[in-house]
Amino acid sequence: MVFFHRSDKAGKQILYFFVFSFAIYNFTPLINTITMPRVYDLCARIQNGFRSRLQTIAIPETKMNLAICNVLYREGFLSSVTRGNHVGPDVEYTPTTNENVATRRLWLSLKYKDNMPTLNKLSVVSKPSKKVTFSVNEMKSVASGRRAKFIKPLQPGEIAVMNTNRGVLELQEAIKKNVGGEVLCRAS
Amino acid sequence: MLAFQRLARPLGTTATKTSPAAYACCATRLYATTENKGARFRQAGLTKENVPQLDKVDSILDFTELSKDKTLEQPKLFPAHRPTEAVMNTVTEIVDTPLTTVEQARLLKKTLVLKRVVNMNGKGKQPSMYALVVVGNGKGLAGYGEGKDEEPSRAIFKATNRAIKNIRFFDRYDDRTISMDIEHKFHATKLELRSRPPGFGCRANHHIHEICRCIGIQDLSGKVRGSRKPMNVIKATFEALSNQKMPQDIAKMRGKKLADVQSVYYGSH
Repeated sequence: MVFFHRSDKAGKQILYFFVFSFAIYNFTPLINTITMPRVYDLCARIQNGFRSRLQTIAIPETKMNLAICNVLYREGFLSSVTRGNHVGPDVEYTPTTNENVATRRLWLSLKYKDNMPTLNKLSVVSKPSKKVTFSVNEMKSVASGRRAKFIKPLQPGEIAVMNTNRGVLELQEAIKKNVGGEVLCRAS
Repeated sequence: MLAFQRLARPLGTTATKTSPAAYACCATRLYATTENKGARFRQAGLTKENVPQLDKVDSILDFTELSKDKTLEQPKLFPAHRPTEAVMNTVTEIVDTPLTTVEQARLLKKTLVLKRVVNMNGKGKQPSMYALVVVGNGKGLAGYGEGKDEEPSRAIFKATNRAIKNIRFFDRYDDRTISMDIEHKFHATKLELRSRPPGFGCRANHHIHEICRCIGIQDLSGKVRGSRKPMNVIKATFEALSNQKMPQDIAKMRGKKLADVQSVYYGSH
């Protein structure tokens, strides 16, 4: 605890209390334990998994992670998305309770063809330091090969995952539903 | 200056029909194909009736004219002397491709790099000329080759032959542009190639422009970032175009159906 006092022009004394949070040393960097992991965490894990030619990877089970993985699964980048343990995917249905919540993971099985991975790059678009939100017109221009707001246009075979009012959708689905939102990431 | 002789005699001029042993070697190579198994023979003038049955031919008894002088001395069947000229550094005309000579002559050949390189030896500086030639037929086939020789013309000739040997097919979208924007790095050269609508033209580095002309890419936009060394730019472009991912393959990988809307509505046919 540090006491800080600062005198104003009018001569008032204001006490500022600063409470320093104690640094928590993580010796197991497998899972981000403090806050819910951000999008870049998922992007890094999936990219690394593909580069190492892994069959399955385990990612922390959160609503956002699950939603983005669902979009990737629907687009054909992943073979399957299953809930599971930190050891492996669930054989039979296990409900998430307070006891086992720390061990819950999402298991993604990665897809390869002709010795090439289906997903080469999964990059973050909207960052906490610079959020990117698209209106429907901007989404349409990005989808048709023109850039919008410093975001490069989508190439054939590229998808963009968006967080909208109607859920986490792919860019084309969001255009169909006529909803704008935050562009989370782009996959190619 | 070294004089070089043309070793390969042109096809058919000295071919005689008297004996099979006197046929000239062909300048073009005929490749074995599944269709022309019985129809085509390597030597011109050989027909199905003419073909000698080698298992039924005896090497001494059937070649009576060669063993006419039956003396105790050894019959001189081979020339007693070695050939007087030993030709060094020959530049052969025979190029190992499935393209015919007519097609080879019609190829677009462009010398993009011709420079003087020096090899330092114990004997001193040995200069030679290095040439990089790009060939293409304007319809998707293209390749590049490098050649080095003391004389620039011969270096270009060597490079052209190697380029024809290295020809490969490049996929184009709508026969005029690349299918996707490409970003490629080769050594210190970073390339950005972008596909463009019909009528745009090839607006990129002049080396890339020439390569696109040889391949047949009419609409392209590009930028070379980093090193612009001509040799590396050319090699980078070829590598980038070889490692293209085609949308059909992506669709197959992901289990999606590919519908080309742009070519249906706006394509140039």
